[in-house]
Amino acid sequence: MRTGEKECKKRINSINQKPVKKVIIVGLPNTGKSQVFNNLTGEYTIVANYPLTTLEIKRTHCRLGNQTCEVIDTPGLHCLYIHSEEELIVRDLIFSEKPDVIIQCIDANQLKQSLILTADLLELGIPMVISLNAIDETTRRGILIDSSELSRLFGVPVVELMAVHRRGIDELEYAISRARNGKWGVRYGDIIEKWISDIESKLPEDINYKRKVSVLMLLHDPFLADNLKKVYGEEKIKQLTEKVNRIRLEFRGNLARVINNKRNKWVDDVTEKVIRKQKIAHGEFSEVFARLCRHPLFGIPILAFFILATYLLVVHVAGFLEGQLRVVVADPIISYISNLIVSTFWNDFLVGHYGILTMGLFNALFTVLTILSVFFLMFGFLEDIGYITNLCVLTKRIFEKIGLTGKAIMPLVLGFGCKTMATLATRGLKSHKEKFIAVYLIAFAIPCSAQLAISMGILGRIGFAAFMIAYGALVLVEIGAGFILNKFIKEQERSYFIQELPTIRLPSAKSILIKTYYRLYWFLKEALPVFIIASAALFLFDKTGILNLTKKLLSPVVVGWLNLPIDIVDALILCLARHEAAAALLINMVDAGALNYVQCIVAVVITTMFVPCFANIVAMCKEMGAKTGLAMAVTINLSSFVLAGILSWILIFTIGRWVL
Amino acid sequence: MNKKREKEEYLEILWRMKSEEKDSMDVLNNAMGENFDSDIIDELLSENLVELTENNSKIILTREGEDYARRIIRSHRIAERLIYDVLGGEFESGACEFEHTVTPELVDSICILLGHPRECPHGMPIPEGECCMRSAKTAQNSVIPLTELEVGQSARIAYVSCKNDLQLHKLDGLQIRPGVFVKLHQVYPSYVIECEVANIALDKEIVSNIYVWKALQDFKPIKKDALETPIENGRGWGRCFRFMRKRRGG
Repeated sequence: MRTGEKECKKRINSINQKPVKKVIIVGLPNTGKSQVFNNLTGEYTIVANYPLTTLEIKRTHCRLGNQTCEVIDTPGLHCLYIHSEEELIVRDLIFSEKPDVIIQCIDANQLKQSLILTADLLELGIPMVISLNAIDETTRRGILIDSSELSRLFGVPVVELMAVHRRGIDELEYAISRARNGKWGVRYGDIIEKWISDIESKLPEDINYKRKVSVLMLLHDPFLADNLKKVYGEEKIKQLTEKVNRIRLEFRGNLARVINNKRNKWVDDVTEKVIRKQKIAHGEFSEVFARLCRHPLFGIPILAFFILATYLLVVHVAGFLEGQLRVVVADPIISYISNLIVSTFWNDFLVGHYGILTMGLFNALFTVLTILSVFFLMFGFLEDIGYITNLCVLTKRIFEKIGLTGKAIMPLVLGFGCKTMATLATRGLKSHKEKFIAVYLIAFAIPCSAQLAISMGILGRIGFAAFMIAYGALVLVEIGAGFILNKFIKEQERSYFIQELPTIRLPSAKSILIKTYYRLYWFLKEALPVFIIASAALFLFDKTGILNLTKKLLSPVVVGWLNLPIDIVDALILCLARHEAAAALLINMVDAGALNYVQCIVAVVITTMFVPCFANIVAMCKEMGAKTGLAMAVTINLSSFVLAGILSWILIFTIGRWVL
Repeated sequence: MNKKREKEEYLEILWRMKSEEKDSMDVLNNAMGENFDSDIIDELLSENLVELTENNSKIILTREGEDYARRIIRSHRIAERLIYDVLGGEFESGACEFEHTVTPELVDSICILLGHPRECPHGMPIPEGECCMRSAKTAQNSVIPLTELEVGQSARIAYVSCKNDLQLHKLDGLQIRPGVFVKLHQVYPSYVIECEVANIALDKEIVSNIYVWKALQDFKPIKKDALETPIENGRGWGRCFRFMRKRRGG
């Protein structure tokens, strides 16, 4: 519940009498649905220039014009014939909720692709509005789209939009009130039409959108029949599917091709009427850049450049900011409090080694927050120019080696953003093997953006080489784990890889700032209490002696096997609560000179692998079932100890000579 | 050539029965329904194309019969591919006529033209012809898999051969379909193609199932005059149709 929603609720209460209008936003992946949602409702959900940003349905009430609306944001949808589970959610939503208005978001760059979905939506017969986004980009490319002609052809309002810059939103709001049923004149030919009406007449009475359901039945949609069975009972639907199967046999040809051909013909006719192309246009820098990013030779230096730039920003800019904040804000407060409070107990509680201010609040605000704000700015920039998806292309061969051939690649790449979201994104994977490997690997050695940022902060204190060693080790571990899983899990089915790559675009500084702001806000809201409570808990453990006992018990593992100072146990305990808290503690230890070169690397590696964050475990259980999910978490923890120990010994015997 | 067509229909059915590991006379009888004609069986027997065993209750193709049947099946399925993917439209009736009137050479020409398709539109395997076996070295196709384009080249899609409907819909949604221009951007580490302004990364497996017209400037399969004009090297449609006329004795 964010502030926007509260405001909306307030506004709603005042005009509660009018019925709520249900507005559902659909569109192809990465066409700006969430951006439109944010702009319409005044709420904020993360937007980025890559597909799969939105995985869950998000709804909110708000007031548009003088009408109360329930606005629903959805994950991407290609057409109503469903390819994957995440698309199924959207279709089920449309079918079950009977929206009053559908807003279809179209990226003007991909008008033709979007029209396939338009055709499907028009056939449903729900009032519609089309929002034609990124219209400025097509114009720049010398492609002119006649939106009024489009509107005339479809009989629905078409609104030109530059959603990133918030241009055209008022018009869209107005258009929602004028949404109408569109014109859809395409017929599939006498025979098929007869069959469609045949099936229509056999469908259960109260079903919505009979025609479209019939067409989908005829196309043998893999999910539809099962769904209908659930609602209307096995018997009733069995007859229907048998009939459909008979028809499909009778038609000596490929129904899907015939129907798609008709639809494509319509798409061609429409685009021919509304699109005008300049004969010559500017070669776009963004195109060249995109190509270089994916290029096997130039792509890797570019990736290295981005990593290095982020590293330098985090280490130097964030480091400088942190230092300043410590000197200007933290130190005076600490000395003020130490002077003010005489009682040692309270002094320790507030500003001692495990003080809730020093270890809790200040670590969160000064150490972690500065690093994250710098990092998220950079990361948001990379997201919004559309760089992230290109990594799919670069890394494809590596992933192939570890059994991830098709759709699993994108979720794994997303893991570098947020592991929880990435785990949820594996929902679309049909092959059990791929899903298992992907979920495991996401949880295992991939650092999420926050972890990556903070490891940069820690290792930046001892040098870039250390950063390279630690991440090199993690990459090896990840590939090794994938390789082993791939060897041991047997499976037949191989999913195929088709990934649309987003247009590279110059992002708006404002939207990156807003995104960073929200990410930091969410971080503080979630993590700050955890930081404070965790340090209070540590303080208690320390005072009661539990901490010492634990340290004694763990000493053989931590000191004997991992070669780390015993105080690292503090960090491991904090790790259970929140990775960033542990990392902040590590930074303090590095600053205090308590960790040497090798120990630093080992500590970062183990905290990256150790206990995926709580949300991630929940997501794992959700996707794989509680048993498998938990088993994975336990395995990951055990192997992180084993592997970190091995790494530690290897480092001691190799580079130990020079650095220790 | 009396009853050639009927005989070939029988051989065709026997081929299908063989792939389903059936050899009983009853199955053949059922498949032909009321058209069943024992004279034809006799004729096939006399030409040594089939063998009867177990008291005439089982019927199997001989070696020669199998070769013959294989040719017919191949012509039929190739014809389906041609009519369905390239010309568009109802293909069954056309293909049924076609298979009885063409020569293996013509079928091979069409096969080369289509880039050696492996499956008919129903998804049944097309038996390999001689041309398929030596294709790697000699064929200069007009229709080639997209994988054979040079990086940076564009071409118009002739047809897309899909594993299943799901893939068909997926590709269709991205507008990867016959008639659309695609450009090959990158081959390694992953294939990247441009189709209707969008860049798409995909598996080699899928890219190799997208077939494109190679010579796109002066090649229009729909217009009659284009068909009559011989194309360089005497390959492609020109040769194919000249061949047809010659065979008809024109």
